[in-house]
Amino acid sequence: MRAFAYASPRSLDEAIALLDGAGDGHAGGTRLLAGGTDLLTLMQADLIAPERLVDIKRLAELDDRIEDGAEGLTIGALATLAELEEDPFVQSRYPILAEAAGLAATPQLRNMATLGGNLLQRPRCWYFRDSRVHCWLKGGDLCYARGGENQHHALFDVSPCVAVHPSDPAVALLALDARVRLRGPSGEREISLGSFFAPPEDGRRKETTQADNEVIVAVRIPPRHADARGVYLKAMERKAWAFALVSVAAVLRLEAGRIAEVSVALGGVAPAPWHARDAEQVLVGAESSADLFARAADAALTGAGALAKNGYKLPLAKALLRRALADLTGQPVD
Amino acid sequence: MAANGFQPVTLTVNGSDYPIMVEPRRTLVDALRHDLALTGTKKVCAMGDCGACTVIVDGRAMYSCLLLAVDCAGRAITTIEGLAHGNNLSPLQEAFVASDGFQCGFCTSGQIMSLHALLQAHPHPSDEEIARAVTGNICRCGAYANIVKAGREAAEAMARQQEA
Amino acid sequence: MPAFRIKRQEGDDGVALQLIESEGDLPPWGPNEALSVVGHPYPRLEGREKVSGRAIYASDIRLPGQLYGKVLRSPYPRARITRLDVSRAEAAPGVHAVLSMLNAPPIGWYQEGQLFESTVRLVGDEVAAVAAESEEQAEDALRLIEVAYEPLPFVTTIAAALAPDAPKVHESGNIAGEPVIYERGDPEAGLRQADVVIDERYETPCALHNALEAHGGTAFWDGDQLTLWDSTQAVFVVREEVARAVGLPEHRVRVIKHHMGGGFGAKQIAWKVDVIASLLSKLAGRPVQLILDREAENLVSGNRNPTRQRVRLGARRDGTLTAIVAEIAQAAGAYRTGGEASDVSGTYQSLYRCPNVRTEQTAVYINAGPAVAFRAPGFVEGAAALEQAMDELARALEIDPVELRRRNYSEVDQPSGKPYTLPEGLRLSYDRVTEAFGWQDRPRPSSSGTKRRGTGFAAHDWVGGGGHDPGYAWIEMNADGTVEVITGTQDIGTGTRTGLAQIAAEELGLPLEQITLRLGDTGVGPYSPVSSGSATQATIGPAVRAAAVDLKRQVLDVAAALLEVSAVRLSIEDGKVLVDGDPERAVALSEVTEKIAPHMLQARGCRAPNPEDKAVRTFGAQCVEVEVDTETGTIDILRLATSHDCGRIVNPTMVDSQVIGGITQGIGFALMEERVVDDRLGIVLNANLEDYYVPTVADAPPIAHAPVDVPDLAANSTGAKGIGEPPLIPTAPAIANAVYDAIGIRIREYPLSRQRVLAALAAAGQGEARS
Repeated sequence: MRAFAYASPRSLDEAIALLDGAGDGHAGGTRLLAGGTDLLTLMQADLIAPERLVDIKRLAELDDRIEDGAEGLTIGALATLAELEEDPFVQSRYPILAEAAGLAATPQLRNMATLGGNLLQRPRCWYFRDSRVHCWLKGGDLCYARGGENQHHALFDVSPCVAVHPSDPAVALLALDARVRLRGPSGEREISLGSFFAPPEDGRRKETTQADNEVIVAVRIPPRHADARGVYLKAMERKAWAFALVSVAAVLRLEAGRIAEVSVALGGVAPAPWHARDAEQVLVGAESSADLFARAADAALTGAGALAKNGYKLPLAKALLRRALADLTGQPVD
Repeated sequence: MAANGFQPVTLTVNGSDYPIMVEPRRTLVDALRHDLALTGTKKVCAMGDCGACTVIVDGRAMYSCLLLAVDCAGRAITTIEGLAHGNNLSPLQEAFVASDGFQCGFCTSGQIMSLHALLQAHPHPSDEEIARAVTGNICRCGAYANIVKAGREAAEAMARQQEA
Repeated sequence: MPAFRIKRQEGDDGVALQLIESEGDLPPWGPNEALSVVGHPYPRLEGREKVSGRAIYASDIRLPGQLYGKVLRSPYPRARITRLDVSRAEAAPGVHAVLSMLNAPPIGWYQEGQLFESTVRLVGDEVAAVAAESEEQAEDALRLIEVAYEPLPFVTTIAAALAPDAPKVHESGNIAGEPVIYERGDPEAGLRQADVVIDERYETPCALHNALEAHGGTAFWDGDQLTLWDSTQAVFVVREEVARAVGLPEHRVRVIKHHMGGGFGAKQIAWKVDVIASLLSKLAGRPVQLILDREAENLVSGNRNPTRQRVRLGARRDGTLTAIVAEIAQAAGAYRTGGEASDVSGTYQSLYRCPNVRTEQTAVYINAGPAVAFRAPGFVEGAAALEQAMDELARALEIDPVELRRRNYSEVDQPSGKPYTLPEGLRLSYDRVTEAFGWQDRPRPSSSGTKRRGTGFAAHDWVGGGGHDPGYAWIEMNADGTVEVITGTQDIGTGTRTGLAQIAAEELGLPLEQITLRLGDTGVGPYSPVSSGSATQATIGPAVRAAAVDLKRQVLDVAAALLEVSAVRLSIEDGKVLVDGDPERAVALSEVTEKIAPHMLQARGCRAPNPEDKAVRTFGAQCVEVEVDTETGTIDILRLATSHDCGRIVNPTMVDSQVIGGITQGIGFALMEERVVDDRLGIVLNANLEDYYVPTVADAPPIAHAPVDVPDLAANSTGAKGIGEPPLIPTAPAIANAVYDAIGIRIREYPLSRQRVLAALAAAGQGEARS
């Protein structure tokens, strides 16, 4: 790891001021340090070399509170994944979120990693993570995964980069229609998670639309019908401690046997958590059945084209989605 | 504080304060192993991928390779060296020996710290909870079954101590 | 004192002398002999150190003035270094030494290269090294080294290396050494005589050892004395190789290994890192600690060679094998290392009785890290193919897979023609594992639903486990009757300390607490060989026993004088000297030894050669039940039973741990472990513990170990053989066979990742069609 300076500002505004003009390239600039579980690996691998780290863990304006209120559930950006996993209210009202947090990483990483940092973590693509490879996402010309070892990569071709977003909680939060509260030099704004994440594009080679001088303050889950249920399923290459090959988050409410509300998100299929609107359209208003779920699963993957080595993700994603829906509606799996 | 220079930090490790001078980039595992000569904590991957460097920070198991030493001021750190009382091993350490919960021993400090954190928070864990507590600790020798057994026997021993 | 005779042979290379030592014609402990320490479970002697964080590993050494080394490595799979400038690094803060081809002595390394060369042949090849006051300063200094590379064409797969006009890894071409061909009988005729022929191709991946402790050590070159605290399976091998490389006589080099964080075969030779640390220390005049980082560990310090194997089996309708033919290509990496060979052919030649066998094994250079022994090298790869092929044959013949193997049982090591020392070892493994698993009444696979269960079986033999000569142990008895066993072997985490102490305690009639082992230090103990080939217990155990027998004789002579009885009436039990027929006169051993203090009783033991007329081998078999999810490709190992012939079990706890540990690695090999290389860039994409998956606690299934535990009386005087490597050998094919049983699809490429399982299901039309 290269040398850097360490600063502990007294206020969030002071921290944000330090971010002004911060570059997003390899060298220089200022980075915020909270849990550090992604930041330090990026630095250890020499993918970034900031001049300064700014500790934001002890700022009064940021917290790890998980609070339910009229506006729904508000989660402070510093809440750790372990706190999400263990919070009794989250467990009872948003088990999908507790499950997603609990399936992420390991106990130690969940004790360290904050929700804000989890949303902002960079892809695990092994080309991106190799300092010897100057890939498109790092400012180069070529996505090496496209024609290379892309078994872990995206099904949806929506960016020059085919890395997948690694977060588990983000997929659950997308299915919960969560919103992100950001603070910048001119105050706060709240945007949907769906617009917070965006596949990287020329001029914005990162996975979010957050400005370089903005800080995530909180994540809010709007209130929802008490009967809505959610589930998060994750397929890994081993039984634990791996990033999702594919994951599915589904939130659903039945009313008189019909699907009154449904929200479906997929992980491991795109550079950003994927909102499967096509599947929702198939499902909403319909009566639950194995056949319906199969059609929804097909719809969810509409437009998904396999790379040379990730074709297995298509049946995998469909199977996970069918199972999630069956689980939520009490249908037999087969 | 000079940019890129050394700066003072006081680490509180196993109940003692250690004022040291470190570069901000020095990780906690390196500070423990080099500045404090507490070499029981092992460094293996330096990327949060193996668990060998697990220590307990403010009651929770964490990877010391992904913590900066300067970021640990004022936090209570417990390492493997802090578990025994004098010459008496902790019940968990005893259980690791009795259950053969290791072979080469390189992951052992981390395994024990993960389970120590679990037992502090949940003195009566199920086998599933014990296994879950060490999912973030790779044992390449494959002593997993005995590690879980050690956790179970330690919990039982600690319960007996409580009763006594 | 060991006696020996010398065999002199004159050959083309001059005179060869073979020293044949004697252990003193010890009869082995009998099969029914009541042993009070051997055969009983004891916790590891070093347990306390390991659970308290006080066990000292190579990276834990802290010496005054110690520096830290780092190595600059090639970013290219093949390139010529056209310019190298280390001047800025030399001038960097905290830097005390920089080593590169500019100033390193010419030292040949590997079979084809130099310590530093102007040509690099793999990503990770050593270009320069720095020693500085901190790791951070060393890392900063590496960035100041200026290197200009001229990238050259390269190859990273066996197929590419064998293609016509392939870029050459070495000037000699891409075939490493001569192909190794073995033939007996008439294999082609055997295939013609067969009623059924299986002809299939299998591939095994490049697996990475990933011992948690990386290669490296702490070197201190002080005047004309070099001390190296190294992470090694072979202190004497490292001493010899490092002394030769750096030009020091052996008595000026001391190699110490107190504890080791795993080796699994990759640490049985000296590596460049040992020499580089030593030379940096010489340059700096200070101790230098140089430990590989995880990426370098996975790039340059060995791997299990990937293989492509074409296997042909011929059999008569009754299952009798008429031919076994295997054509094997293995990737050696860019260089050939020393140590145990990866004999992929071996198991084809020996596991089953067959008159007509041909194996052809070709090692191929590629521009990637060098292969080295990895826990049962070669046999793991060979069994992965052969044991699937046997299952395919059993299916084709409609014979139970265990029965098929019983019908082709060999009690003789066919390549040498010698009978096995324990000919029933494999048969007993079959009996015990099938009983423990309930093979006869195993559940039949379901043919519907998405969760399919199946069972699989695989057997193995292993050329190792028998130990060998030479190897030495000394025993000293202190004035208080306690004992120190001194040997130059090493405990690499396998329980060697404990097992050897048990041998000494048993023979001397002492409680285990009265034994201390001093090992892992060339400066302390007499020569012992590398801890590899599952050899250590079987090699050094008999030497320890021989020394103990001699020491006991001496003690009893002294006791005889004290007690005024003939020594033949004396024995030692639980630390007391007993007089036959006169229990009243028993005295504590310490009373005897104190009478002669400070004179010290000492004895020396050696390991004599294995029997000339028999072959010492180890055997085993495994049964496994899996559940395969046909929609998600998930393979769950529901249960696994295993049985092994490792002769007499000295310590059941250690053996159980070796067994479950080996199988856990086997599960990794079967399901998830695979080095991934981008063939366009020549870069290893998963030289880490994130994307190179090794099993976690959640991946380890319940394992039932049904030991054979029959002393191998013809093998050596302890009747014990090794168990370190064998449990891993049959795991992967047993799992693959169970997966076939469950879903009816053969997956002949390991590992059986989700990607491969789902692709196979899709190709077979069982899963959802691949779009």
